[in-house]
Amino acid sequence: MSRFVLVGGGVATAATATGLREEGFDGGIVLVAAEPHLPYERPPLSKEYLAGTVDRPSFRANPEAWYADHDVELVLGTRVDELVPAEHRVRLSDGRSLGYDALVLGTGVRARTLDGFSGERVHALRTLADSERLRGRLTAGRHLVILGGGFIGCEVAAVAAGRGVRVTVFEPEPLPLGRVLGAEFGRAVVDIHAEQGVEFRTGQVVTAMTETSSGLALTTRDGGVVECDELLVGVGSVPNAELAAAAGLEVDRGILTDEFGRTSAPDVHAIGDVAVRHHPEHGGPVRVEHHDTAVKHGRHTARVLLGHAEPFTEQHFFWSSQYDHMIQSLGRIDGEGETVIRGSVEDRSFTRFSLVDGRIAGMVALDRPRDLLATRKVMAVPHRVTADQLADDDFPLKSLLPKAGARRSEARR
Amino acid sequence: MGDTATQQWHAVMAADDLWEGEMEAVDVEGTSVLLVNHDGDVFAYKNRCPHQEWPLNDGDLDEKELTCANHLWVFDVTTGKGLNPANCALIGYQCRVDDDGTILVNLG
Ligand SMILES: Cc1cc2nc3c(=O)[nH]c(=O)nc-3n(C[C@H](O)[C@H](O)[C@H](O)COP(=O)(O)OP(=O)(O)OC[C@H]3O[C@@H](n4cnc5c(N)ncnc54)[C@H](O)[C@@H]3O)c2cc1C
Ligand code: FES
Repeated sequence: MSRFVLVGGGVATAATATGLREEGFDGGIVLVAAEPHLPYERPPLSKEYLAGTVDRPSFRANPEAWYADHDVELVLGTRVDELVPAEHRVRLSDGRSLGYDALVLGTGVRARTLDGFSGERVHALRTLADSERLRGRLTAGRHLVILGGGFIGCEVAAVAAGRGVRVTVFEPEPLPLGRVLGAEFGRAVVDIHAEQGVEFRTGQVVTAMTETSSGLALTTRDGGVVECDELLVGVGSVPNAELAAAAGLEVDRGILTDEFGRTSAPDVHAIGDVAVRHHPEHGGPVRVEHHDTAVKHGRHTARVLLGHAEPFTEQHFFWSSQYDHMIQSLGRIDGEGETVIRGSVEDRSFTRFSLVDGRIAGMVALDRPRDLLATRKVMAVPHRVTADQLADDDFPLKSLLPKAGARRSEARR
Repeated sequence: MGDTATQQWHAVMAADDLWEGEMEAVDVEGTSVLLVNHDGDVFAYKNRCPHQEWPLNDGDLDEKELTCANHLWVFDVTTGKGLNPANCALIGYQCRVDDDGTILVNLG
């Protein structure tokens, strides 16, 4: 009987386990995870869980009983320390050695740290433990400084402000999220946060930190000093690819795979945040850190393991929520093609499209879920659209779908 | 006391006003209920996504698949079961169409 070993305690490996059982695989499944928790979703860590509005079981990938019911062996609080592809074997931190028929690496990423920024009042945010520790410090009246106006920085700023914490965000770029989402978004995000009392110091960098008797003193590049109680370092991530690199797998800012999620070593697959996957629609390798993609990679790999190999071509989707605002993105927003804005930037209800050769290549929307749902369908089929049409709010995106009109007229019963 | 079984049924709308392949949210005694017409069969669900309570009528209905507008979870409207992810389900209510074409919902 074959045995599949899954490494990592995120949604990617959990989705592979779920997918394997749903597709009828009855061999052994062992899931090894460094964290002591059942596999869980990370998006709530900077949102609802940090705010204290949801509890832990609500964002587990599967309920606890599911693993026993489906004969999935969990080895939690244990790391895979070594991978020997030639022997189809991994060595665990508890000293055990496990043979595998197929190995799935879903080791994710970790928060990037900054030299000189560590200590009791300094935070990163990647794990449940990080979120709980930070939550304990978000007391009204205290001052939190966030280094980095990325998604995690912005989301934490929103939760902290909601709890009455004074928040200052340092962002080296001229606008937060601007490089990823464009200037319209960057400005909207700054304005939304400003209204809630969050201060953005854009174009500014904190260069040093010292501990004082009552908190932290931060020095900025222009020589200013800012005092605070807590510091969150939200400056990006580092893929957990060392295990794979040490085993001789091809690694380049993540574990390289083909469009089936197969690494350069036989029977070793990589999924989720750690994987740099060849994506046929991008025409090259892409690594994203999106919940939905991690789940879809996981599911897809279950099918690949069971021999139903088809390339992974799903559009990348992610969201970010801040206060009661929702940012949602689909497809490529890497600056390729022409940019078209639909809706009203002023009213903070707009979508920014990337148009390549008359096709929508990607979009990102602020509080426009209907644009997202329609675009999702349009992007899945061949279509032609002009910039003027996209920019016109009265032009229905769904009219780009084949025979939409015909289906509608038959619908009346 | 009257017949509680019939009292729990609420007339919500005319079946003719809910087209095939369409869905609509109605208020039933303060509860927002989603009505879906799939191939002439009418189904009723709580109009809140089991993930994070987003109103489902904001979502997209395509054949059997209802996609929530918030984080794109997908459900089968004929069974209420989650398709992606699979380990969740919509909250369903009893629902029928009476002889004069009125949709009735029972919050149970
Ligand atoms: C605070 C936060 C908020 C987010 N919000 C959003 C959002 O709103 N929308 C969105 O789309 N995405 C969001 N993301 C990103 C999303 O959570 C990730 O894309 C997703 O977690 C990736 O899942 P994964 O399974 O690939 O990796 P992970 O969830 O990172 O899991 C990897 C696991 O592998 C374990 N591991 C690593 N090395 C080893 C080893 N050698 N042995 C054993 N175990 C190991 C780690 O401990 C970890 O448990 C957010 C992420 C964070 C941190
Ligand atoms: S609230 Fe519906 S998918 Fe999250």
